[in-house]
Amino acid sequence: MKPGELKLPYLFQPGQLGRFKIKNRIKYGACCVSNYNTRDGYITEREFARMRVIARTGCGMITNQGAYPDPLGEGKAYFRQVAIFDDKFLPQFERIAADIKEQGAMAIQQILHAGRYGGIDLGYCIQPSDVPQTLPHFRPPKVMTKDEIRDCIRQHAQAADRAIRAGFDGTEVTSFMGYLLANFNSRFTNQRSDEYGGSIENRGRFMRELIDGIKQATPDNPLVVRLNGAELMDKWGGNTEDECFELMRQAADAGVDMISVTVGWQEAPESSIGRDIPPGYWNYLSERAKKTCPNTVITFGNRLPDPRMADECLRDGVFDFWEVCRPLLADPDLIHKAAEDRLDETRRCIGSLNCLSRLFRDLPYTCTMNPALGHEVEPEYQVTPATVKKKIMIIGAGPAGMECAITAVKRGHDVTVFDKAGRVGGSLYAYAMNDLARPDDLLSVISHYEVVAKKLGIAIRLNTEVHAKFMRSVLHQYDVCVIAAGASTDRTHYESIEGAELMVDALDVAHGRIAAGKRVVVIGGGKVGLTVAEALRKNQGADVTVVEKSKRIAGDVKPSFKWRHASWVEELGIPCLTSSRLVKVTKDSVTVRDGKGVETVLPADTVIFADGAKPAHDLFHEFEWMVDELHGVGDAMIPRGLEQAIQEGFRLGVRL
Amino acid sequence: MSPLPDVVTWSAAAARHDELFAALTPGARIGLVAREAPTSMLLWEASDAGIQARAAPFPGYFDSGADILLSANAAALAAIYTAVDGQLFYVMRAGIRNGDIICYMLSRRCELEVQGFDELLDALGFAFMGACR
Repeated sequence: MKPGELKLPYLFQPGQLGRFKIKNRIKYGACCVSNYNTRDGYITEREFARMRVIARTGCGMITNQGAYPDPLGEGKAYFRQVAIFDDKFLPQFERIAADIKEQGAMAIQQILHAGRYGGIDLGYCIQPSDVPQTLPHFRPPKVMTKDEIRDCIRQHAQAADRAIRAGFDGTEVTSFMGYLLANFNSRFTNQRSDEYGGSIENRGRFMRELIDGIKQATPDNPLVVRLNGAELMDKWGGNTEDECFELMRQAADAGVDMISVTVGWQEAPESSIGRDIPPGYWNYLSERAKKTCPNTVITFGNRLPDPRMADECLRDGVFDFWEVCRPLLADPDLIHKAAEDRLDETRRCIGSLNCLSRLFRDLPYTCTMNPALGHEVEPEYQVTPATVKKKIMIIGAGPAGMECAITAVKRGHDVTVFDKAGRVGGSLYAYAMNDLARPDDLLSVISHYEVVAKKLGIAIRLNTEVHAKFMRSVLHQYDVCVIAAGASTDRTHYESIEGAELMVDALDVAHGRIAAGKRVVVIGGGKVGLTVAEALRKNQGADVTVVEKSKRIAGDVKPSFKWRHASWVEELGIPCLTSSRLVKVTKDSVTVRDGKGVETVLPADTVIFADGAKPAHDLFHEFEWMVDELHGVGDAMIPRGLEQAIQEGFRLGVRL
Repeated sequence: MSPLPDVVTWSAAAARHDELFAALTPGARIGLVAREAPTSMLLWEASDAGIQARAAPFPGYFDSGADILLSANAAALAAIYTAVDGQLFYVMRAGIRNGDIICYMLSRRCELEVQGFDELLDALGFAFMGACR
């Protein structure tokens, strides 16, 4: 046994599902449709390459992403979702099943009929009842007739049979997160008065018939059903948790082999899987599922990203299999690192939900933490030995610089990283220290870089500012210079404002270099300004006002997190003056003018500037004639965010 | 007695927040119904003369003619009553977030954009909601 397997004995013990022996207790969950495929449901080479990575994650059971089962595409939820409604798709599924099984894993094919969230190419979606959408992204509903229900069940059964004929060992149907199965189960969307609606027994009828139909079509192969332990829709008239567990009992009684316990609907007013939910928060749902369905195998993994926590849960009987997906998007080697006792090297999923945010803009999914994800098919994204070994200096130990350094060293280059600060992390450290959601996730990015850099022998010279004089002192010692120095405050547009010099920089406050007072005005309602404002309000009890020149705050925040800032500023009582511009700063006040020209004087002992950032273009001009190759990455090129920093650092690292 | 505010009050509420309605094209409608007893509804309707409020029987979601329909429970309606002269949209936004109000989208995003719903949806918190949490 490998050293990590000894430390995590429950995770790496073999399991069984039906007649299939499974090498460990880890199920790769079909958490995300990739959107890498053709518009008519065929799998692309990009997808096959991605699946090869998934097949090699080391999971004992691997679920292939959901395929829609109907030729009309009523079940199709995503722009480039895979289809399984016809035998013409068989060869592509054969290829995926073979690849998974070649790695010694059990292969499961998910059948995903999106119901309320489906019909993406159509002008409607199908549902049990006429319940309108609450998110404008989705299509207006069309009520299913009984004949259509029967057809739908038949299509699922045929799809399952097709998956088994393609070589999959089992199939999965999913209600997560508000798909067709959930629509029938839930009181919110099922308001039928026939035998498919009304009582919970009737609402569960579609599920039971679905299970029965698939089991009849594939009697020798396990069937997994993903069911909500909590819909988080109960305030809107959806199911209570008690009802969710009653439905689980029905599924178990109907003969399902495994229940995957999930949480939340897409449109639920509460968060379920984002960064603000602490790991382990939903474990109680899995514990209850185990008690409710003692003879059915239970798998679970919502907001449970750590193999050590999963091992403890398995030990304590919280579930039988750990279902994991997003953490394996961030680090496909997570299971191997766990087995080899190298978890300190893990790239953690930080729950930014970049993956989902992109899907709902009809884009292929990507991962903030894993820049190679989705590019597996492209040789240009592979870390290959460098033809010419170079001596590289990287200016800046933030995510862009460290990502570039690590990638370049893996290719055989000799890399030294310089940073004027006393620690690795750059602006990410400041952001993490002020983050109200979960600083630990963001700090894990920094510790990942520190650990891996140390193991790879990357020299990091902290407290060392690289300027022209320094560059002259190291002239001809380096073949390549990478500027990853991040952005700095840009006050160009504020120079003419009276008292502008009294403002302090948001990053200085965020880093703790400057202490803010008790009455604070933050100029700039983007992610930096909001993060600092929220931290000062919550952690120090300061009275904080945010002044933003645009009509809305959080303009540079990821779609998946905008709502969080909007909620925080309201919960914390932070006034946000939008469409407002700074007029004047004095030592104890700020004057701002709103869109109608009305001026307001805000008392302030500290005015924090968070409205502009400029790239490090000056360094490019200074160093241009001092080194053979000069490159730039991240905010030093264009100020943006963590994802772009990591992506660009990697992309440059694989090319140098 | 109707659990909904009266038409005059509802009309005045719209006038107080005219900037949210300014971009709406004539015919755009926002409905309010009581979730527990949706027999009647209040409508804000954009016209060439500005926003008009009117009451009407509630014929069901899809026949209501509304582009967005706020279905408020008793607690939310009480809060709306209290806030109708003041922070109405703050209260409605909070109601949507805490589940006391369901905001049904009876028109698609692209249609709402064309009809000038951007500001209103933003005030109801929808710029900050979505299927990504």
